[in-house]
Amino acid sequence: MTILVVLLSLAAGAYFIAVLESWAVHGRLQISRPAISALALLGRESLLARTPDRLFFEAGPVLLLVAGLLAVSVIPLAPGLIVTDLATGALFLNAALAYVLVALIMAGWGPNGAYGMIGGWRFLGQFVAYAMLIVMPITAVAMRAESLSTVDIVTSQAALWNIAYQPLGFVLFVVAAMGLCWLPPLDLPTAEGDLAGGIEAEYTGVRLAVLRLARMVVILALAGATVTFYLGGWLGPWLPAWAWSGIKILIVAGLMVSAGRLVPRVREARYLELSWKLGIPLALTNIFVVGVIALVVPI
Amino acid sequence: MKDGIEANFMSMVDMTRDMPASSDGLKMEWIDVPFGPFFPGLPSGLRLDLTLDGDAVAASSAQSAIAERAVLQEGAVQPETFVDDLAAMSLLSPTAYRLLACLALEQAAGQSVASDVARARVAAVERERLASHLGWLASFGAQSGFTWLQTRAAALQLKTRKATQEELAALAPEITALLTRVQRRPLLTARLKGIGELQGSDALSGPVARAGGIARDARSDDPVYAGLGFAVHISSGGDALARLKQRCGEISQSIDLISQAGAITQPAPQSVGKASGTGEGVVETPRGAARLSLTLQDGMVTKAEIGTPTAAHVALVGAVADGQELGDALTAIGSLDISPWEMTV
Repeated sequence: MTILVVLLSLAAGAYFIAVLESWAVHGRLQISRPAISALALLGRESLLARTPDRLFFEAGPVLLLVAGLLAVSVIPLAPGLIVTDLATGALFLNAALAYVLVALIMAGWGPNGAYGMIGGWRFLGQFVAYAMLIVMPITAVAMRAESLSTVDIVTSQAALWNIAYQPLGFVLFVVAAMGLCWLPPLDLPTAEGDLAGGIEAEYTGVRLAVLRLARMVVILALAGATVTFYLGGWLGPWLPAWAWSGIKILIVAGLMVSAGRLVPRVREARYLELSWKLGIPLALTNIFVVGVIALVVPI
Repeated sequence: MKDGIEANFMSMVDMTRDMPASSDGLKMEWIDVPFGPFFPGLPSGLRLDLTLDGDAVAASSAQSAIAERAVLQEGAVQPETFVDDLAAMSLLSPTAYRLLACLALEQAAGQSVASDVARARVAAVERERLASHLGWLASFGAQSGFTWLQTRAAALQLKTRKATQEELAALAPEITALLTRVQRRPLLTARLKGIGELQGSDALSGPVARAGGIARDARSDDPVYAGLGFAVHISSGGDALARLKQRCGEISQSIDLISQAGAITQPAPQSVGKASGTGEGVVETPRGAARLSLTLQDGMVTKAEIGTPTAAHVALVGAVADGQELGDALTAIGSLDISPWEMTV
């Protein structure tokens, strides 16, 4: 039952995010657009590239979807409403999201096309930029909760949400999450103006529908992780716990999807430079500050 | 198995033995990739052939997918037909080429136009420059994933293309606000600074030259522009950022010139009767100076020769793209504002 509720919530959330992303890209808010696009994709011929690496080509989008679903499985939507409450949930989330890289390289390499291949390799470079900035803020979150369980992390914020406790970690995590979801301005693997869709360029029909759905699931997983780690998860007054989770996840995902339209795409070299020269020292500072606060003023 | 190495093992040294070396000495498999003629980040009709060394451009060439056309379609044509043909050949800046043809015809026929007509024609060319530069901003927005800029600039381009002087005056605050916001974005500066640097080449023309501090502008020798208080606007840096700032500056300048000029009228040829002679014209199009020389015989255009700014800028594609990362190379090429329509005239 829990799995069914989570999957239904995921489907509704993915649709909402697709509406928002379409508004961000096309400038018009059309509720029916994702449904029409999905029907069009499902009705369209699913073309196969001339000399593909068939295994990678077919497995890439599916692996991405699986990675997203695994990540979602440790996001608590309410007390008891979680697919699996692992003692190492935060670590499991990281491990699941590591397969996003593998999936995108497979999807880029599989069609044997230049745009996709460059997109896949670009994401490898992007991974080097964001990977540490996903892990290090989570370390600080786990320090405060004294646990890697995502449920414990939520309950540790009963007195004060982590966004107020460790705002630096929040900013670093959200930016890194946008890199992991290859959202603008960090959409280097699919850059429309540079690569005509990059990883998506050679996919059509059902395969493209799966690839796009998988990306929505990854976005929701990262938005859910942000809410769990920094925005108190299901905690909130008046409304039921699941409603708070849903509202917070959709707001975070909406902001992540739409913020990128206000700035140009970041150059890959600049992204790497900022991540390593600025991001990692800031993440270390965040861990240090959180450690000191946890020792001196336990909240 | 010999010395712990399998019999069929092929080392990276063996695999890349005959492959070309990158600038950093690494040998990799290079691939030839076409970009265009219909590519999201490039003007429609422009085809780039890039040789990619990983994510970097090792070699590049540009060509137009538009069929080659002669300036003079037949042996001898009516002046009105010639003006229309020339405007139709350069679809991204038809008004400037229409004026160019009119100026050359008037010189060949020994005619002149009233000052208010001359000012109104200049206003039409400036309106076209304004719309063209806004269109370039929209294209840059599309190429760089800057959706906000793309939608705002494209909407303004559509509104200004055929706007009257009053409508342009009403749109001026909105355009100015857009230009101010664009130039204040730190991420935009970081995205463009140092990309596609060009300095002091004789081949440079238009905004590309002026962005490098070269005060080269056909309008500076035009008495009509002098009467409107025109002064050449230049920028420094010579890179893609300077080109963006230059075009933003020229948009503001065009708004001022249009407000000074009065009405806006499309250039139209006068009747030349049975006049004979030769004439030349120079017009500063949105992409640089275009030159036309023609021969008029018994009221018919019998010979014409044209020089376009794009012809020179296409030759610079390699200079701005080679050795650059793919995204930077496309940004640099985009900053030249190449018109595929001018490449095959």
